[in-house]
Amino acid sequence: MRRRSPAFLAAWLLAPSLFLLFLFTYVPILQALMQAVTLEGFGGKFTGYGLGNFHKLFADAGFWKAVSNNAVYGIGTVAPSIALAVVLGVALQEATRLNAVIRTVIVFPVVLPLVAVATLFAFVLMPGVGLLDYHLAELGIAGANWLGSPDTALYAIIGLSIWKNAGYYMLFVLAGLAGIAPELHEAAKLDGAGALTRFRRITLPLLKPTLAFVLVIALINVVTQVDHVIVLTGGGPSDSTNILLNYIFQAAHQQGDTGRAAAATIVSVAGLLALSVASLRTLKSGMHYES
Amino acid sequence: MSPRGLTRALRGRGARLAALALLSGFALAWSTPLLWMLNASMRDMPFGARDAASLLPDFKPSLAHFSDAWTQGDFAQWYLNTLIVTLGILAVQLVTITLAGYAFARLEFRGKTIVFYLFLLQLTLAAPILIVPNTLMVVRLGLYDSLPGVMAPYFASAFGVFLMRQTFKTIPRDFEEAAILDGASFLQMIRLVLVPLARPGMIAFAIVSVTSHWNEFLWPLMVTDSPGKMVLTVGLTSFVRSAEQAADWGLVAAATLLVAGPLLLAFALFQRQFVNSFLFTGIK
Amino acid sequence: MKLVRSMAAAAAIAILSPSGAVAATRIDFFFPVPVDGALAKEMQSLVARFNKENPDIEVTAAYTGTYDETDIKTRAAIKAGKPPALSLMSANFITQYHIDDLVEPFDPLVEADGKTPDAFMDQFWPALHGNARVDGKIYGVPFHNSTPLLYYNAEQFKEAGLDPDKPPATWAEWVEAARKLTKRDGDKTLRYGIMLPGTYDILGWTVSALIMSNGGQYYNPEYGGEIYYDTPSSLGALTFVDDLVHKFKVMPEGTIQTPAMNNAFFGGQAAMIISSTGSLSFIRQNMKTPFKVAFIPRNIRNAVPIGGASLILPKGNSEERRQAAWKLVKWLTSPEISGGWSRFTGYFAPPKAAYDLPEMKEFLDKNPDAKVALAQLAYARPWFATYNTVAVRKALEDEVQAMLSGKKTPAEAIKAAQANADALLKGYVDATALSLPK
Repeated sequence: MRRRSPAFLAAWLLAPSLFLLFLFTYVPILQALMQAVTLEGFGGKFTGYGLGNFHKLFADAGFWKAVSNNAVYGIGTVAPSIALAVVLGVALQEATRLNAVIRTVIVFPVVLPLVAVATLFAFVLMPGVGLLDYHLAELGIAGANWLGSPDTALYAIIGLSIWKNAGYYMLFVLAGLAGIAPELHEAAKLDGAGALTRFRRITLPLLKPTLAFVLVIALINVVTQVDHVIVLTGGGPSDSTNILLNYIFQAAHQQGDTGRAAAATIVSVAGLLALSVASLRTLKSGMHYES
Repeated sequence: MSPRGLTRALRGRGARLAALALLSGFALAWSTPLLWMLNASMRDMPFGARDAASLLPDFKPSLAHFSDAWTQGDFAQWYLNTLIVTLGILAVQLVTITLAGYAFARLEFRGKTIVFYLFLLQLTLAAPILIVPNTLMVVRLGLYDSLPGVMAPYFASAFGVFLMRQTFKTIPRDFEEAAILDGASFLQMIRLVLVPLARPGMIAFAIVSVTSHWNEFLWPLMVTDSPGKMVLTVGLTSFVRSAEQAADWGLVAAATLLVAGPLLLAFALFQRQFVNSFLFTGIK
Repeated sequence: MKLVRSMAAAAAIAILSPSGAVAATRIDFFFPVPVDGALAKEMQSLVARFNKENPDIEVTAAYTGTYDETDIKTRAAIKAGKPPALSLMSANFITQYHIDDLVEPFDPLVEADGKTPDAFMDQFWPALHGNARVDGKIYGVPFHNSTPLLYYNAEQFKEAGLDPDKPPATWAEWVEAARKLTKRDGDKTLRYGIMLPGTYDILGWTVSALIMSNGGQYYNPEYGGEIYYDTPSSLGALTFVDDLVHKFKVMPEGTIQTPAMNNAFFGGQAAMIISSTGSLSFIRQNMKTPFKVAFIPRNIRNAVPIGGASLILPKGNSEERRQAAWKLVKWLTSPEISGGWSRFTGYFAPPKAAYDLPEMKEFLDKNPDAKVALAQLAYARPWFATYNTVAVRKALEDEVQAMLSGKKTPAEAIKAAQANADALLKGYVDATALSLPK
């Protein structure tokens, strides 16, 4: 009885997790797939199966607006966040007291709930009396109706996300930097390499696996973080902050179009899968490197 | 030192000071929202005040906003629910991830790669995307508007499984083999030998899990209705909604701090552990 | 200590509640609070009072956010098989709920009490009947109602040489007043003559008030498949708003959120705002300088939509719970309770008899501004309600928001709004008006 076959042992060890995975990940995906190909007429009457919901989805200008918004949002948050994380990480990697304090400040937003950040930023972005406008005015710069104009609302949301996430990514950069042998930098310095050259030739290449990992996390966040949009703008003004998940939420609940919402869910899942498969490749090589 | 060396050293020093000043200024700007929140929660904030955004504290800071928020909201209930949810999720997760992590770390079996990928894929299929079908699942299980309903989808954690797998891999097999030879049953071996050795990994995971579920909003919002089942994030939003309409920023700031406070405090005190756990769980 | 005690109490409640050994009928009551103030708390205390007076019923009141959010929550709960026994719903959502067959009519309950439905409805102001009855049956009992009001800063009026007792009654007077009230300092505007709320729901309500004041009918009250965005009356109203922002420059650009608008009014940066009468108490409490309220100015006629919420009975509840809910409905809409709520909030009380009670008369004498919304009732018409009301409403709001930021002209806005709304209504229209014999 001691010597159970590994397969049997593995089976019952994995059973609870697998069961739950199926219940709350894979079965829901299949259900969403079913819902996406189920066609319903007016009043929820079943009319058959087909790709009608997908046709409706791709014909909906609102969907493409959501996709483009998400793309802008994605690039707008990921690039500056990671760049900031790298710059701050490199600048703060020494173990001085001041650095420790600054690092803490940068990382604080990470432990705040996104809804709390959104609540905070409702005030920060208020025209005139809000934190941003008030202090901009002290510098003599005119404020704007940040959340109230389709031109600026998405960028306001982007700014919020950068504030929330950059610290998290910085932590990974710091860990990655710690893994770079100091001898490499010493040797380069002796060779007369300046700070910038060392950064470009040594730091960046050796940070690649870390950055690849951070990129995956950041991309997942781009699609799945939506609390701030729901709380602050509801997708507006004029659909300018409507990102994919908010679009799905609205289609399902505000417009009662569960078929289209399911189709959009499938499309998003497919997109996420594609992203993760692509990044898993880079990750796998990174993992080997780490071990 | 040669004159050239001196200038170079001084220029280096100047550059460093400039960099330091820049960084400090940046950090200050970065922290203004939090500073404002701290200040506003203890300051008199009359409606329509032009200087609502000021960072200057009043002479006599008061805790009136906090007591108002506490009495007007239902923070005690929300705290209780949030604690039940986060600790409940963690408790079950620790069991499922330990068992599954062991399987991946120590056992070879047919189909291991496929199962591995099943878990791996779940990492990216994050819960928010599946909210609509998951709500239906919870309803079908009869768990709608209940705390177990909020917890259930998170009981299995692919993230945790990989973490434990990694952790177990770093523990030499000798300990397990010795325990088995001493007559321990399989479960006893896991409980008494492996778990204590895997503690750093489990603590790291615990911090990440509690933080992320403490801050969860959309899912609890969708699956609960009754005020008695609200968690802090949902309670905060509903509470703040009416306060925000009223532009009662002092109240909003105090309420937000009541929700975010514990984690902020924990982070400030146990910084090293938080940071390490974020990294530990990430890099591995 | 208080923390420990409250947590212990909460723990006790959490542990004890599920078993519910008491014989009382337990019902859930979802309610929204769309306007400012301590209304959620007041509602909870009202419900507590009802529970005390009716020991055989135990109502749990759940504050479910805005009107739109309460709609989502109620539908989700009904779908999940756990419908609340009673829900307080935006008055214009009733039509959609009936189309979706999610609510019960009140008529059987009224008749069981020995009254006719007509007699029952007679107790309420006539302007409220339109949203309460769909297809001839009562699906929503009015709980609190409002009309949009023009709130204006009396002191700033005097300062600008205007008579605070003679508020602008026409759009022409309105613009003139706004121009005099707008203060500029070079490039910056220190004070705006007018601010309109720009967030979803109240924006649509305000714009519909302006369209109606411009002679427009806005929607087809007898058939939920038609909305009139692309009409001269709508074009006129939207152009007027656009002009306020871009031509006369008496209103700021962009979408103004309600808290920002209130803030501006309190802080003296906005001389006139449009808001619901439901905010009256809140504004009265927090406005430090004297202010007054007036009818919405007209261009062609005085006409405004009502706002507010009605009580609905979601389907799927037991007979026992329905009866308990009906008791709560009657209690909440009694002249006494309704009057009290009206005085607390600023909403007007739907039962006419509430205004015969001495406390109400006394209150109105002391607070004449509360009479204005009541007087405007003579010109009030039902709130627009169509198939897919929220999405159809957003179709216009999104375009207006774009217009306010200078992205679209009024003509483009109404055309786009009409096109989007028609697409949303198509399913319903195809199944009803366009469903013809083959």
